[in-house]
Amino acid sequence: MPAGAAVAAATEVVAVAIEPSDEFDQVGWMEEKELTPVEKGYLFVLIWMDKRFRIVDYLEQLETMYYRINLQMPKSHTEQYNLDNKFWYWYPLYALGSFSAIAYLVAALSGALLGFYYSPSTAAGACNVSNASVAYCTIAGIMTDVNFGFMLRSIHFWSAQVMTAAVFLHMLRVYFTGAYKEPRELNWLIGVVLISLTMGFGYTGYLLPWDQLSFWAGQIGLEMALSIPLAGEWVAQLMFGGFRLTQSTLQRMYILHVFLLPFIVTALIAIHIAIVWVQGIAEPH
Amino acid sequence: MSEDNEPRTDGSGTGIVPPDDETPSWRERKERRQGLARLTYEYFERARYEDQTLREDSSYVERDVLGFPAWPHETIRNLALTSFLVGMLIILAATMPRHIEPAADSSTTPAIILPDWYLYWSFGLLKLEALNPELSILGGQKLMQDRTYGVLANLVVVGAIAIVPFLNKGSARRPVEEPLWAAVGVFGAVFAFTISAYSVNNLIPVERNLLLDLTFLLPVVCGIIAYAVLKAMREGYMFELNRRYYRLRPPR
Repeated sequence: MPAGAAVAAATEVVAVAIEPSDEFDQVGWMEEKELTPVEKGYLFVLIWMDKRFRIVDYLEQLETMYYRINLQMPKSHTEQYNLDNKFWYWYPLYALGSFSAIAYLVAALSGALLGFYYSPSTAAGACNVSNASVAYCTIAGIMTDVNFGFMLRSIHFWSAQVMTAAVFLHMLRVYFTGAYKEPRELNWLIGVVLISLTMGFGYTGYLLPWDQLSFWAGQIGLEMALSIPLAGEWVAQLMFGGFRLTQSTLQRMYILHVFLLPFIVTALIAIHIAIVWVQGIAEPH
Repeated sequence: MSEDNEPRTDGSGTGIVPPDDETPSWRERKERRQGLARLTYEYFERARYEDQTLREDSSYVERDVLGFPAWPHETIRNLALTSFLVGMLIILAATMPRHIEPAADSSTTPAIILPDWYLYWSFGLLKLEALNPELSILGGQKLMQDRTYGVLANLVVVGAIAIVPFLNKGSARRPVEEPLWAAVGVFGAVFAFTISAYSVNNLIPVERNLLLDLTFLLPVVCGIIAYAVLKAMREGYMFELNRRYYRLRPPR
C-alpha cells in the first residue's frame, strides 16, 4: 500500500471519529509560520480568545465600525448649499443638547460622591441645629467637614441647574428650527419624556436636604398628587408614602433620585442620542 | 423510522433527520412563513426594492445627505464646547455656592413657599382657579376642584407639546417659512415666562387680577408681533433662499 493512501485512509478514519483534524490545528499552523515574537504573541492571544468567544463572528462588524468612524463624511447640507452664514450664526444653540448631556454626566459624578456622605433619614438629634434631621445634618457635614464638600455640593447644584436650563432651551431650538418633523417625531416624544424626568430629578433632589424649602415644596407635590382625579390617593401613597411628609417620603425621594431615575434617564438619553446619530442633525433648509 | 418512512416525533425513533436537498434554506423558510412574520418579510423586501429604485432613479447628489453627521463633525465641535461648559460649572459653583435653609419644621409655614425655578410654570398652572369654569346649571358650582383643574392644566400643556410633530408636517424648517407655527412657539415660550411670573404673584408688585390678564395677554401680543415680523420678512428672505437653492438644484 502506498504511503499516500495510508495517510488518506488515516485521515478518513480521523474525520469519521470527529477528532480535531490538521485543518483546525490553529496553534500548529501558527508554529510552522515564521513570526516575530509580537506577531506570535498577538496571534496566540487572538486564537485563545477566539476559541472561547468566537470573535471571528464579530470581526466583520468591528471592521465595518472601524471604517465607518474613519469615513470621509459626505458634504453636509449646509456645505452643499452654502448656508453656513445662516447655520453657523446659530451654532451655539445646536450644542444645547450636548450641554445637557454633559451637565448630566457632571451631576452624576458629583452626585455619586455626595451619596457617600448623605443619609436619607428624618430622625432627629444628629447635630446641634433646631429641628434638624439626620439628612439635614449629613448635608451640613458635607458642607463643613468634608474636604471640598461645599464645592462638591455646589457643583452638583449648578450642573443640575444648567442641565435643566439647557434642556428647556434645547427644546426651543428644536421647535424653532423644525427639527422635530418627520422622520424625527419619535425623538421629540422621547425628549418630552426626558424633560419631564429631568424636572422629576430636580424635584426629588430639591427635597433631599429636608430643610424648610424642601419640606414645603414636598407639601405642594403631595397636594398635587392628591388632587389627581381617581388615582390621587394611590399616587400619593406610592410616591410620597402616605398623606403626610414623613420618613417614608424622604426615603422614596432618595430612591427615585439615586436609583430609579438614573436608570431610566440614562437609558432614554442613550436612545435619544443614538437616534440622533442614526438620523443626523436636522439642519434648517 | 416507521414503515411509512416518516420521521416520528413521539419518541419512538431518534427524531433526527439528515439534511438533504429537500431541506429548505433559511431564505425559503422565511418566505414560507405565515401571518405577521410573512408580512414583515414582504414589507422589508418591498422597502429594500423601493430604496434601490429611488437610488437608481435619483439624479440628485443630495439624496445621500439626510442630515448633518453627528459623528465626527458635531461631536468634535461639541468637545470644544464641553471644556467651556465644565469650566463654567466650576466657576459658578465657586462663586455662587449653594447654601442651606433652616431645617424642616412642619409647625412653622414660611412666608414664601417655592419649588425650584423650572417648576414655576407648573406651579402657576395650579393657581389658575380663577379660570375654573362654573356652570349656571349647577347653581354656580364648579365642575371640578380647583387643584384637580390645575393638574389637568399641566397635562394639557404637556400633551399639546407632545403632539406638535403630528400637527405640523412638511419640510419647512425656518420660522420665516411658517410664520404661524413660529408665532405659536413664541406664544408658548412667553407663556412659560408669564405663567412662571404669575406663580410667584405674591412677590411681584402688580395687582393679582392684572397679572392674570397679562399672563394670557402678553403671550398673545408677542405671538402676533412675531407673526407680523416674520410675514414681513418672508418675501425678501424666501427670494434669497430660493435663488440660492434653485441655482444648485434646478426644478425638473
